[in-house]
Amino acid sequence: MEHPVNYIYNKIAALNPMHGKKLKKNIAFFDDGYYDLADAFFEKYTGILHAQNKTLDYAIDCYLQMIADVNAETIEFLRTGKYSSTTFEEVIQRVYARPETMEYYMHGLIMSQFLWKHHYQIVDFFISNLPAYKDETKSYLEIGAGHGYYLSKALEILDDKTFFTVVDISETSIALAKDFIKDDRVEFNLQNIYDFNSDKKFDFITLGEVLEHVENPLQLLVKVNDLLSEDGVLFLTTPTNAPAIDHIYLFESADFIRDMIHVAGFKIEMEVDLLTEDVSPERAAKFKIATLYGAFVKKDKAAYL
Amino acid sequence: MDRNEILNTVNNVFIDVLDDDSLVLTEATTANDVEEWDSLNHIQLVVAIERQFKIRFASQEILSWQNVGEMIDSIAAKLNQ
Repeated sequence: MEHPVNYIYNKIAALNPMHGKKLKKNIAFFDDGYYDLADAFFEKYTGILHAQNKTLDYAIDCYLQMIADVNAETIEFLRTGKYSSTTFEEVIQRVYARPETMEYYMHGLIMSQFLWKHHYQIVDFFISNLPAYKDETKSYLEIGAGHGYYLSKALEILDDKTFFTVVDISETSIALAKDFIKDDRVEFNLQNIYDFNSDKKFDFITLGEVLEHVENPLQLLVKVNDLLSEDGVLFLTTPTNAPAIDHIYLFESADFIRDMIHVAGFKIEMEVDLLTEDVSPERAAKFKIATLYGAFVKKDKAAYL
Repeated sequence: MDRNEILNTVNNVFIDVLDDDSLVLTEATTANDVEEWDSLNHIQLVVAIERQFKIRFASQEILSWQNVGEMIDSIAAKLNQ
């Protein structure tokens, strides 16, 4: 049977040959592990689309609409060196408060989970290392669960008795994550993370591609540090040089992210900094090519001595 | 600056951005003819050309070019303004 992802690549190549060319460079890189995960993912996602009377072609159109936005933002970023939105309020007006924008953007992002090499690589980094924390993780919190893919993997990997909590500011995301997961072990909170308080601390927190969406990521990391149990683990990801309609905070390199992690009272256990294009690090720096940084971090107890 | 000079300058920008010293553009060259000319590199090329010629393209122009000649039309029109 043809892999759904091949159908998607071919369709995109027909509709937008220049972008199709860029995506096809990824295919050579993907191994069997990729196809196993991607096939399962798209099977589930196609089912969700059908339940809404939508098709994979609809999702491809959404993805290409998102790419048009990303391209326009990238041009402005390369011209000015800045992201176009600087406040959360601005992004609410431009994106979050517009259902028609949220609709194509969310589907576009879902598609990117397995169309963008670095999105696959970072989830692979998460899946490969999460089992090592299984025994110590009695409670799991995910902030900004998006479409719920990381959460679905955590549900598979962690112990059955683990308590799962999600905090997400977007109703659209929560509805989608619920569709994706269908697991009553998860408690969903439609809330701004700054308003979320919990008596108990969490043993594992996931903060995937959230820091770039807030005005003050250091403040958010300090809040997360407070929610984490003494020996708990935080898994975080955030991109550098990645303009998008809802990105606010620009990290210019992985070193900026590392510095902020340390200032927020964490030490890095394990990390990756993935180039989004197949270029040398020198060319990536010269042309401000985005990278996706990911790390497992713990509280730096020495920081409190 | 005449069209040939513009073409030569554009050719040098392509060589730098696409990291390919052997690249020789003509006005008929399209993205299909140049392997590395994909959607992201297109944006890098546009911004590098803007810097080189000290011009600014409109977003409709960026999407409209069918070949290098049409790109040169846009550049020449701006330089002659």
